[in-house]
Amino acid sequence: MSDRKLTIEYNDRIVRQFLIATLIWGAVGMLVGVLIASQLNFFKLNFSLPWLTFGRLRPLHTNAVIFAFVGNMMFGGVYYSTQRLVKARLASDFLSNLHFWGWQAIIVAAAITLPLGLTRGKEYAELIWPINIAVAVIWVVFAVNFFWTLAKRNEPSLYVAIWFYIATIITVAMLYIVNHLSIPTSLTHSYPVFAGVQDALVQWWYGHNAVAFFLTTPILGIMYYFVPKAAERPVYSYRLSVIHFWSLVFIYIWAGPHHLLNTALPNWLQMLGMTFSLMLWAPSWGGMLNGLLTLRGAWHKLRTDPVLKFFAAAVTFYGMSTFEGPLLSIKSVNALGHYTDWIIGHVHAGALGWNGFMAAGMVYWLLPRLWNKPLHSTSLANLHFWIGTVGILLYVAAMWTSGITQGLMLNATTENGTVLAYPNFLDTLNTIRPMMLMRVVGGGLYLTGWILLAYNFIRTVSGAQAVDGTVEVFVEDHPEQKPLGLFGTFLNPPVVFTGLGLVFACSWLFGGAALQILGITGTALCVILAFVHYQAKNSGWGEWYDRLLVNIAPFTVLVFIAVVIGGLIQIIPTVIMNRASNVEDRIEIPYTPLELAGRDIYVREGCYNCHSQMIRTLVSDVLRYGDYSRLGESIYDHPYQWGSKRTGPDLAREGGKYPNSWHFNHMENPRSMSIGSNMPNYPWLYQNKTDVAALTSKINVLRKLGVPYPEWSADDIAAQVATQSKTIADDLKASQAYVAQDREIVALIAYLQKLGKSQPVTPTVASAKAAKP
Amino acid sequence: MPAESSKAPVPRHGPSSRATALITPNRDSVTTIREDGSRRFLHPADVQGRFTTVRRASALALIAIYLALPWVKVGGYPAVFLDVAERRFHLFGWTLAAQDLWLLFFLITGLGFTLFLLTSLFGRVWCGWACPQTVFLEHLFRRVERWLEGDAHNRRALDAAPWNAIKIVRRGAKQLVFLVLSAGIAHLFLAYFVSIPNLWGMMCQSPGEHWGLFLFVAIATGILYFNFSWFREQLCIVICPYGRLQSALIDDNSLIIGYDSTRGEPRGKAGSAGAGACVDCNRCVQVCPTGIDIRQGLQIECIGCAACIDACDQVMTRLKRPTGLVRYDSTEGFLGRRTRWFRPRTAFYCVMLTVGGAVALWAFSGVRPASMSVTRMQGAPYFVAADHVRNQFLVRVVNKTTSPARYVITASDLPKETKVIGGEEPLEVGPMAEELRPLIVEVPRDHYTGTGRFQFEVNVQDQAHTFELKRQVQWVGPDPELLKEDASAK
Amino acid sequence: MSTPLNPNSLNEEPVRPHSYDGIREFDKRLPNWWLLTFYGTIVFAIGYWFYYAHTSLAPSPNAAIEAKMAQIQSTKLASSPVLDDDVLWKMSRTASMVEAGAATFKSTCVSCHGEKLTGGVGPNLVDQTWIHGGRPTQILATVTNGVAAKGMPTWGPVLGGKRISEVVSFILSKHDPAEPGMGAQTASTNPYNQP
Repeated sequence: MSDRKLTIEYNDRIVRQFLIATLIWGAVGMLVGVLIASQLNFFKLNFSLPWLTFGRLRPLHTNAVIFAFVGNMMFGGVYYSTQRLVKARLASDFLSNLHFWGWQAIIVAAAITLPLGLTRGKEYAELIWPINIAVAVIWVVFAVNFFWTLAKRNEPSLYVAIWFYIATIITVAMLYIVNHLSIPTSLTHSYPVFAGVQDALVQWWYGHNAVAFFLTTPILGIMYYFVPKAAERPVYSYRLSVIHFWSLVFIYIWAGPHHLLNTALPNWLQMLGMTFSLMLWAPSWGGMLNGLLTLRGAWHKLRTDPVLKFFAAAVTFYGMSTFEGPLLSIKSVNALGHYTDWIIGHVHAGALGWNGFMAAGMVYWLLPRLWNKPLHSTSLANLHFWIGTVGILLYVAAMWTSGITQGLMLNATTENGTVLAYPNFLDTLNTIRPMMLMRVVGGGLYLTGWILLAYNFIRTVSGAQAVDGTVEVFVEDHPEQKPLGLFGTFLNPPVVFTGLGLVFACSWLFGGAALQILGITGTALCVILAFVHYQAKNSGWGEWYDRLLVNIAPFTVLVFIAVVIGGLIQIIPTVIMNRASNVEDRIEIPYTPLELAGRDIYVREGCYNCHSQMIRTLVSDVLRYGDYSRLGESIYDHPYQWGSKRTGPDLAREGGKYPNSWHFNHMENPRSMSIGSNMPNYPWLYQNKTDVAALTSKINVLRKLGVPYPEWSADDIAAQVATQSKTIADDLKASQAYVAQDREIVALIAYLQKLGKSQPVTPTVASAKAAKP
Repeated sequence: MPAESSKAPVPRHGPSSRATALITPNRDSVTTIREDGSRRFLHPADVQGRFTTVRRASALALIAIYLALPWVKVGGYPAVFLDVAERRFHLFGWTLAAQDLWLLFFLITGLGFTLFLLTSLFGRVWCGWACPQTVFLEHLFRRVERWLEGDAHNRRALDAAPWNAIKIVRRGAKQLVFLVLSAGIAHLFLAYFVSIPNLWGMMCQSPGEHWGLFLFVAIATGILYFNFSWFREQLCIVICPYGRLQSALIDDNSLIIGYDSTRGEPRGKAGSAGAGACVDCNRCVQVCPTGIDIRQGLQIECIGCAACIDACDQVMTRLKRPTGLVRYDSTEGFLGRRTRWFRPRTAFYCVMLTVGGAVALWAFSGVRPASMSVTRMQGAPYFVAADHVRNQFLVRVVNKTTSPARYVITASDLPKETKVIGGEEPLEVGPMAEELRPLIVEVPRDHYTGTGRFQFEVNVQDQAHTFELKRQVQWVGPDPELLKEDASAK
Repeated sequence: MSTPLNPNSLNEEPVRPHSYDGIREFDKRLPNWWLLTFYGTIVFAIGYWFYYAHTSLAPSPNAAIEAKMAQIQSTKLASSPVLDDDVLWKMSRTASMVEAGAATFKSTCVSCHGEKLTGGVGPNLVDQTWIHGGRPTQILATVTNGVAAKGMPTWGPVLGGKRISEVVSFILSKHDPAEPGMGAQTASTNPYNQP
C-alpha cells in the first residue's frame, strides 16, 4: 500500500455565497409573510393593485421561504458538511457556481412572475413552465456536483447525513418532475397533464413530500452534522439513525393523501394517507430523539451557547410538529382542523421552529469558521433566540386558537343537528379576526429576530478574512475494498425480506380474494422468517449495511426504490382508473370558452389560496355548501382547484347561489355584499379585456389532454364568447350594473356561475363501475 | 466553569453490595433506558426536608383546586364550566360565547410568557412544583406505591422477587388503585366540560347513551393509567416540549438546582485528608425521581423537584456541616458571584406580560353581554323600485346572558328621508339564544345622488342603553347617474 | 455551575469504530417503548385497513354521509309532521302553533309584510292575491326557498322547518280554505296525513 499524503482545500466560497443568499431571501420571504398576514386583517393593504393582492403574494411567500430561504440554507449546509464528511473538495467549481447563480436567477424570476399573476395554480408548484425547466436543470447540476464529489471521496464510508442528502436529491427530482408535467399553451402558460382527482393526488404527493424531502430530510442531515459538531458529543445511536432513516424515507411518500381526507379522493387512498401518517410518528420522533439525546451530554452548555439553544429548540419544534402532523391526519381531527388556521399554525411551528431555528443555529456556528473571526455579538444572538421563541409562541398560539375556534363554529349545529349554528361564514371569520392580528405580531417579532441575525452577520463579516477549510488526507492507492455488486445489493437478507414482505403486503392490500390470502400468509411468513433469521444469526444486518455504506450506487438505488414504491402504488391506479368513462354518479360539463377564460382568471388571481372547491363528506360541509363533491365533478379541471384553506367559503357549488349582479358588486368591493369580509377588491377586472385570442391554443391543449371539446376554430370560440358574455352583460344591465361585455369580470362571473353544474352519468356506465375502486 | 473534579469519576459500581442494585447515572446514556432498550424503573428513596414538606402541601392545595373548580358554583354555574355542547364557557361567574373563544389565545400566551419568565428566573419550578404530571405522580401515585409496596429498598426487593402470591396481591392491588385513580382524574377532566351534575347523570346511565363521551373517558383513563403506572418520567424526558426547551430558556442567572463542586470536590469519606464536603453517599442519586446524578451538572431529565437538596441537607446536618452543598442557585451564584435578577431578558418578558395583560384586559372588557352581526339577505344586492332603491340586511343578535333581553336596532349616517324598516320594535332574545331581524333600508331616488357608494352604521343597544354594538355597512346600489339616464330612457 | 466530569470522557460506552470529520457515534439501543409505538402503529394500520376494506362493517364515506343526511332529514320530518295542505290548515287552527308563528312573524317578517300583514316592502298577506301560489304548501315553499328576484330571502336554512311551518300556520290563521286559490279541494288526498 502506497499511501499519499494530500492536502485538500474545501470550496467554502460557495458555502459563504449560499449563506448570504439565505440571509437575504429569509428576510424577503418573512417580510412578504408579514405583509400578507397583515392583508388578512387590513384589506386596504392589498392597495387594489393586482400585483400586491394576497392571492398573488401568498405563493410568493411560500415559494420564497421554501425554495429560496430553506433551499439556500440547505445547499450551504449540504456543501459545507459533505466536503468534510467525505474529505473531498466539491467536484466542480463551475457546477457549484452554476448551481448558485442558476438558483438565484430562478428565485428572481419567481419573484417577478408570481406577482404578475403568471402561475400554474398549484400550491408550491406555481412557477410557470420555463422556470420549472430551469429548476429541474439546476437540480440536476446540484445532483451531478454532489454525486461526483462522493465519487471522489477520501472517506470510504457514508455518514448518516449523506444518506439524508442522497434521499433528498433523488426524491425531490422525482417529485418535482412528475408534479410539473404540463403542456404549454403559450410561453408563460401551461395546463398540467393531470386533472381533478389525479391532479389533487399528484399535487399532494408532491406537496406533502416537499415538506418531507425539502424541509425535513436535508435538515435532518444538517442536524446530524452540525449538532454533534456544535455539542462536541457523539451521536446518540447509530442503529437509531439506520432505522429512522429507512422508515422515514419509505413511509413519508405514502402520507400525501392526508391532505385530502374526507374529500372526493377514493377512500382507499384516504386510508393509506391516514394510516401511513400515523406510522410516520415513530420514525420522525426517532430523528428527534437522536438529536435530543445527542445534545443531552452537552446540556449544561445550552445556557450559554446560542447555537445549541437554537438546535435544542429546533429539535423540540420538530418533535412538536411531527406529533401534531399524525394527530391532524386522523380523519375526525382533520374534519375539525382542515381548511382552518390550525394547519397554518402547524406548518409554521415547523417552518419557524424547525427550519428557521436550524438555519439560525447553523449560521451562527458557521460564521466564525468561514470568516475566521468570532461572532460579533453572542448576546445579540441570544436576543434573537428570545425574540424568536416569543414570536413563535404568539404565532402558533394565535393560529391554534383561531383554527380550533373557527373549526368548532363551522361544525356546530343546533336543533338536533339539523341546522348550522353559524350559517353565515363571515360570523366565523370575524370571530377570529383578532387572532389574525396576533399572528402579525408574532411573525413580526420573528422577522425582527432574523434582522438581528442579519446585523450580526454583517458586523461579523465586515473586515473579516474569508477562510477556506483544509484537511490532510492519506489517499489509499487501492481499489474499493468491498464492492457490493448487483447480487450483494439485492440478494441479501434485509433487502429480500423487506422486498418480499412488501410484495405480499401489497397483494393483500389490493388483490382479489385468493391473492389476499396469499398476501397475508406471505407477509406473516416474511416477518417470522426474518425474525428467526436474525435470532439465529446473531450478527444481524450490521455487516451487510457496513458494506452498503461504502457503495454509493447500490445505496442510492435502494433509496430510490424505497421512495418510489409509495408513489407508484398510489398514483398509477388513480391515473389509469379515474377516466371519464369510469366516473359514477355525476360528471362535470366541460367549460364553455368564456367560462374557461374566467377560470384562468380565477387561477391567475390565486383564488384557491382562500377558497376551496371541495365539499367534504361531512355533515357540516353538506349543510353549509350543498351536496358533497363527487370525483367526476372536477374531472376536466386542469389544474384541480380543490384548495387547502378556507379563509373564505367553499365555492364548489357557488353557481346559481347568487345573481350575477351580486358577483359584480362583490368583486368590485367584497365588503359591499359581505359585511366584514377581508377579501381584496378587484377593480382591474372591470378594466382588463378578456384574452379571447389565447383560448384557441388553450382549448386545443385541453382537447389533447382528454377534455371533450369539438374542433373549434378561433372564430367559433370568439362567437361563443360573444354570445355568452352578452347574455351576462345584459342581465347585469337589467340590475342596473353596467359593464362592457368584453371585460374580465364577465368571464369570471360566467365561471363562478358554472361552478357545481354537472350532469348525471347514465346508469349503465355507473352500474358497470359499481365494483369497488 | 470549575471542572477540576474530572479526576474523580463516578464509579460504575457502587461501593457496597447493596448499591449494585442502585442506579449509577452517567452523561452518555439515559438512566431509565437500559442497554438492551428496556425500561429501568426508578425507586426513589424517601426524603424529608423543608422543600419536600412545602412541595407536598402545595401539591395537595393544587389537587384541591383542581377538584374544586368544577364543584364550586359562582353565579349559578360551576367556577369553570367549558360547555362545549352549548358553546358557552363559564369562567368564575363570567359567561363567554363561541364568538369569544379567541380569548383563549390570552390564556395560552399568558401561560407561555409566565412560563418563560418563571423559567428565566427560577428554572423549572413549573415542572417540579405545579405541573399536573408531577403533582399527581409524586403526590398521589408514588404515595400509593410507597404505602402498598414499602420504601425504595422493599420495592426493589419486590421487583426482584419471583411472582409469588404476595407479589401478585401487592402488585395487583397497586395497579387496581392506579386504575381507579386514573379513572377519577379522567372523570374530573370531563367534569370541566359537562359539569358535575351532568357527569353524574351520565354515569348513572348506560354507556350506550353517551357512547362518544364514554369512549373518551375510557381512552383518557387508559392513557393516564399507562402514564402514571409505567411511562412516568419518560413523558418529561421525551414527550413534553417544555421539558426539552427548558435548558434553552435558562441562562447563567437563572436559579437551578446544582451541586457546589468547589465545596464538594474531591469527594471522600468524612475526615479523610484533602476531601471536600461531599462524602459521596449517593443519597442525592437515590432520591432523584428521574434517575440522574445532580453532581454531573444540570441535565435534560432534571425537573427541579429539590428532592436532592433535602437529601443532601439532611446528610450535611447529620455531619454537622453547613447545608447547601446541593442547592437552588444560579450558575453565577455557584461561581461565587451575585445573581442578577433583573436582566434585559426578564425585563423583556415582564414588558411582554404587561403588554399582553393590558391587551387581554382591553379585550375582555370589550366583551359585551351580547354580540351582533349584519349580513345581507341572500339574493340580489339591491332592488330598484319606482321611488326608492332598497338594500336588505339581516341583523343577528346573540344574547350571552342568562336572562332574556330586548335590543333596539337602529341605523345612522343615511341620506335624508331614508326609510329604515325593522327597528320599530325591540328584538327580544331569550337567555343564551340568538335571534334574527331583517333590516330594510330604502333610499328615496330623489336623494340618491353622488357616487351611490356610502357607508352607514347599524347599531344595536340593549333597552337600558348600557352598551352599544356597531357595524359599518356598505350601501350598494346602481350608479345614480346611470340610473337616471336609464330612467329617462324608458 | 459544576461540570465535574469531562463531557468528552465517554465512560467506556461503546462507540462505533468510525469517525467522520471528528463525529463519532454511539450505538445505543432504542427505547423499547419507542419501537413498540412504531410496531403498534403498523398493527393499527393493518387492523384499520382490514376493518374498512375487507369487512362490510364500515360504510364507505359516501354511504356514511348519505346515511347521516338521511337521518337529519328524518329528524327534521319527525320534528314536524308530514306537511301537506290539510295538515297546515289544521295547524293554522291550533292556537299554540299560531301563537309561536306570530312570535316568529313579529321578529322576522313584520319588517316587510307589516304588523297587520298588509304588506310594505313585501306583498300583502291578508288579501286574496297570491303571487307565488296561495295553497298552504306553496306558501310554505315560498318562505322556505325565497324569491331571490324580489328580495324575499331563503328562510329554510335560517329558521328551520319547525318555525317556518309555525309562521305559515300564523298566516293561514288569517285565511279560510274556501278562499279562492287556497286550494281546499286538494286537501286530504294524502292518506298519511293524520296529525
